[in-house]
Amino acid sequence: MENYREQVKADCEQILGRFQEKDSVRFQVFATIWREMNFSHIFYGAVKREGRAFVRLILDTAYGYFLPPFSFQIRVGGLYLLYSLYQCQTNARRKQIRVALKDWDVVKKFEKDAVDAQHVDAVYILRRLMFLKAFHFTAMPTLLDYQKRRNVVKSTFCENFMDRSSHLPEIINTELLEELSNVHTMYTELKSSVFPPPQQTDSSVDLIHRDMVPQLLSTVKDFYKWRQRKDTRTAEAKDSGEGTSSGQESSKRARLIASIKSKAYGEAAEASKSRRHRQVEVNFSSSEAGPSFKPVYTRINRPSLKARTKDNVHIISKVWKDATGTTNVSRLTSLELDRAEIKSLRENSK
Amino acid sequence: MAAASKQNTDSTVNIPDYEETNVNSKPFHVDSFRNEWLRRLKPGDWSHQHEDEDTFDANFAEDMGVSAETMAELKAVCSVDSLRCHPKDQQPDTDVVPPDPRLSTLIQRKKKQDYRASLKITKNRHDLYADELERLTVGGQPETEEDKLPEGEVILTINVYYPASFAKFNYIRPHTSLLMTGSHTLAELRDAICCVSDLQVLGEFSGTPDMAPDFISKELYKSAFFFFEGVFYNDTRFPECKDMSMTIIEWAKARNFPPYSQAVMEDTRLVDLKLKVGFPYLYCHQGDCEHLVIVTDVRLTHETDCLNKKLYPLLIHKHRISTQKCAVCHVFIGRWLTTKDRLAPSDPCLFCDKCFRMLHYDAEGNKLGDFLAYSFVDRGAFN
Repeated sequence: MENYREQVKADCEQILGRFQEKDSVRFQVFATIWREMNFSHIFYGAVKREGRAFVRLILDTAYGYFLPPFSFQIRVGGLYLLYSLYQCQTNARRKQIRVALKDWDVVKKFEKDAVDAQHVDAVYILRRLMFLKAFHFTAMPTLLDYQKRRNVVKSTFCENFMDRSSHLPEIINTELLEELSNVHTMYTELKSSVFPPPQQTDSSVDLIHRDMVPQLLSTVKDFYKWRQRKDTRTAEAKDSGEGTSSGQESSKRARLIASIKSKAYGEAAEASKSRRHRQVEVNFSSSEAGPSFKPVYTRINRPSLKARTKDNVHIISKVWKDATGTTNVSRLTSLELDRAEIKSLRENSK
Repeated sequence: MAAASKQNTDSTVNIPDYEETNVNSKPFHVDSFRNEWLRRLKPGDWSHQHEDEDTFDANFAEDMGVSAETMAELKAVCSVDSLRCHPKDQQPDTDVVPPDPRLSTLIQRKKKQDYRASLKITKNRHDLYADELERLTVGGQPETEEDKLPEGEVILTINVYYPASFAKFNYIRPHTSLLMTGSHTLAELRDAICCVSDLQVLGEFSGTPDMAPDFISKELYKSAFFFFEGVFYNDTRFPECKDMSMTIIEWAKARNFPPYSQAVMEDTRLVDLKLKVGFPYLYCHQGDCEHLVIVTDVRLTHETDCLNKKLYPLLIHKHRISTQKCAVCHVFIGRWLTTKDRLAPSDPCLFCDKCFRMLHYDAEGNKLGDFLAYSFVDRGAFN
């Protein structure tokens, strides 16, 4: 079953992503997407032992989206997904959803939130699952057998689903800043009592930067401002609609190429080109405005040389074939334009 | 959350959490864990009886303060019909992947199935066995009320691994999986573990092959122990049982290891244990036959579980070990092992009973040539 994990995750993220786009928490909306995607078919073809293992896998995967740190909307989507998967599984003997003891309080909190917000359908689905006895009340969310993974794939849960606003205050709050400045002042006092006054100016024995606390504070503030601006911007962009903001020819063209590419290479291209383009713009303006965020160094797991070569050769040869094909035909008519096109295509493919 | 857990550490200590993510949990006491669950749930949640559909609807409507019309609408919207991906009047074939799938899981599955179809061998022995085992364990309904599994009981899934052989590295870890209830004792777990080293017959029988005694080592050497979280649980059911753990405890004491303690296997129920889920522990018998024991899951019972108490410990997975065949006929499983044998192609050499007798003895049953013969029990004896 291990080799289905990636695909199952991708499918779950796809349906939840579409649910998120709809900006709704109604089950009706979810069911529509479910039917559009023919999601029930996911169980087809997995019979007997394979089927049992597969149901276990997909329920465990979907369960992850029902818990924090995801936003409320995604968690509602996760609940609907669990319900739908539970109802649609094709096994004669239904598999149950495993809910761990440590997560139960979170589930209860979720139910309370849903009741308070009068999301009747979400509450109904949750209680319905309880009524159907769809849960196994367990110690841990998955079966554990001390399997240490060799190449640990960091669980890259979809960033978009996260409840983003809550992260920073958790790490940096006023208590921490106070603590930090207290420690700092205490340390300087101690130091000044140990050393004779002239040596006190020696900065090499400083514990932290002299003005770290205010600096940290201002950085956090800047970050908030930047985030707010970005949010309002994306909201504006949404309001004005996709078409008007991308009036320029270049972005239209980029989108066109992106759509062609996404068709050609399947699901490899994630965000549409226009989005990426706009994001870059926002980042640029924000970095001008002040807060200097150096990207944290993250290790990128690259595929093997063989895989990369295979990929690259495949793409290039394909593009090359197409390109030569068009040039041969259209060389007689408009040479310059086509060359430019090929060039841009080739660049894009890289 | 963090502050709350600090305030009442007593109650949260037995809420299992990851010690190492996706590998194993922190230690917790099984019975307290069960009580934590029961405290949180309504009795109806863990009972095996179903609530009445209408009562559920009425309760819900009252709880949320919705009218009957809204309730009816809600039921219609949230019904299973709203998830149906095929026309109402035709039932799709769920055993095949639908044509031109768009979900990436289905694309992958189609690819795999196409590949599998291209192979010559289409049947998987392990699948067949697993299905057979599933049929045996499914829905065992108790005959009398007494045999019924009580509601709110815990079920533990225990993996017992075969002794490791490091001669050949393999990703497959052969093991058997057992389902046990919390009221079982460790002694019952011990009895449920099948291991060929319990079946060995000791001694050399080349002179008298018909006289091979019935004493198997299980009856001769009855000592065994489990090791969970720093405690050795010794089997003391029989007078012949020796305390095998004392040597280890003393050895550990002499080398400044953390102190270990002892307990009695047959008096310890599984709910009394303190353990980590997913963490390897030890079962040792026959002196040095060591099995890893991993509790992979602890959970409350469910109505779909096998409810017949008599069927527990319930075997849910069994690894089929390939058997070693007779060196002569290559048909039957080896029963005899000979050494220093001039008639054999190798030393040691395996024979089935028939070939062994035909080769090594004349018509009157006299021994031909010099050799040593030992009784042999194949590792796959429990297949």
